[in-house]
Amino acid sequence: MSRTEDRMGPDGAGGSGHWFGHAELPPPQAESLRRAKRLEVITLIYMVTCVAVVFATAGSSQAMKTAWVEDSLALVPPLAFLVAVRLGRRRPTADHPYGFHRATGIGHLTAAIALLAVGLLLAVDSTMGLVRAEHPPIGTVRLLGHTFWAGWLMVAAMVYTGIGPFILGRMKLPLAEQLHDKVLYADADMQKADWMTAAGTIAGVLGIGLGLWWADSGAALLISLSIVRDGWTNLHYATTALMDERARTYDDEHPHPLTRRVDEVLADLPWVDDSRSRVRDQGHVFHVESFVRPASGRTPTLDQLEAAADLLRELDWKVHDVVVVPVRDLPETIPAPEEGPEHG
Amino acid sequence: MSEIRRVLILVAATLLLAGCGSMVPTDFPADPDGTLDRVRDGGVLRVGASPRPGWVEVGDGPPAGREAELVTGFADHLAVEVEWTVAGEEELVRLLEDGKIDLAVGGFTDTNAWVDKVGLTRAYTEVEAAGTTEAHVMMVPMGENALQVELERWLDTQPTDGGGAS
Repeated sequence: MSRTEDRMGPDGAGGSGHWFGHAELPPPQAESLRRAKRLEVITLIYMVTCVAVVFATAGSSQAMKTAWVEDSLALVPPLAFLVAVRLGRRRPTADHPYGFHRATGIGHLTAAIALLAVGLLLAVDSTMGLVRAEHPPIGTVRLLGHTFWAGWLMVAAMVYTGIGPFILGRMKLPLAEQLHDKVLYADADMQKADWMTAAGTIAGVLGIGLGLWWADSGAALLISLSIVRDGWTNLHYATTALMDERARTYDDEHPHPLTRRVDEVLADLPWVDDSRSRVRDQGHVFHVESFVRPASGRTPTLDQLEAAADLLRELDWKVHDVVVVPVRDLPETIPAPEEGPEHG
Repeated sequence: MSEIRRVLILVAATLLLAGCGSMVPTDFPADPDGTLDRVRDGGVLRVGASPRPGWVEVGDGPPAGREAELVTGFADHLAVEVEWTVAGEEELVRLLEDGKIDLAVGGFTDTNAWVDKVGLTRAYTEVEAAGTTEAHVMMVPMGENALQVELERWLDTQPTDGGGAS
């Protein structure tokens, strides 16, 4: 039995008027979405000013040029989020019967590649600097009739570009969890990388000031390793999610608890003997296919099947597209989930 | 989040603290290879000169011209003597890279091709030449920031025009 169009929220009390396809967002999620979109627009504007500031202070310094490229790439995740959310809201059409939720997955993939590119760029650049034993020259600048060391200007620029990500990244993390939005999560993750890059660059510039020529490249190399790791992890989960991996939590740390809850809820129904479900992450929302073996082989009634589907949808706003199929034997092609405690 | 990050933050904090602790204007920034200290202690500034009419005139005796005079003035400011080496531009770059000279002049502009190999000072003067504006710089060893900063500061105190160059 497939779900019928149901324009009321899961609790039947009406929703927020915000939709992902034909899934209506509960009011808290709708509020989170509104805030997330506003934060991403602020991020875009802020990052453009950062790119301008770094470009202006970079001079001939290779390290600052890398920072400039990196800040430019940091524009990708906010853009990916805004585009993905816009597309994902569309209602399903005849050509797109599953809706447009996968836009989120593509956005996640795009953001992950941007993150990985930033990390690799920084790693190669700083390694070359160390291998060639480049001594970065930082001279003076003359502003308003005063001559001072250009390093101070770079430190000031890096403080400016570091503060925003520090605040914005932390504001986005809880929203990413509430919306189950992996693009938003990847973006918040990348912004954490941004502020660390800024802190590392400051340490590097001050190190150069102390006469430690390797400080800048050394700090950059350490930071790049952490960014490469983040990029790789995101790339891994973005691709496996697009390959219909079992749904995972917003931070990809664990299989999502709902993947287990679905079968637990079905098993509690008196007419159900056993069930096996496939739960995949469409992007924000989950697509659930449950194969149910009725007790003593009796075919369930339409009412029973509809009630079972409704029960699953009431579990969570993310449980969105639900199919409950009665079967004689559980499909062997779907392996049973491993036993043991899930989600931490 | 991870062990790497905690270590990173620790490294950054340590360097920041180290930076704050040594904010003495006299030795910040410092030279990785200690060029400025060596010049002051040894009493000799080793300068490479590449001939260019008006800027560096080479004949009998020490080089003359606008930049030769500037270099002499800078040496006086440091209270040291100048030791001249006259050679072509490419040779001077190699000597700078090898640490055999501390400074090179030769009417160089900020568009010269050696920016990857040597440190260029901020342009200290601009002149009209053949319809374009030439921004003139001197060369110092790459990354010897104390020397570069000292030189740039001193050049800022000099008049930017009225020199011997045309």
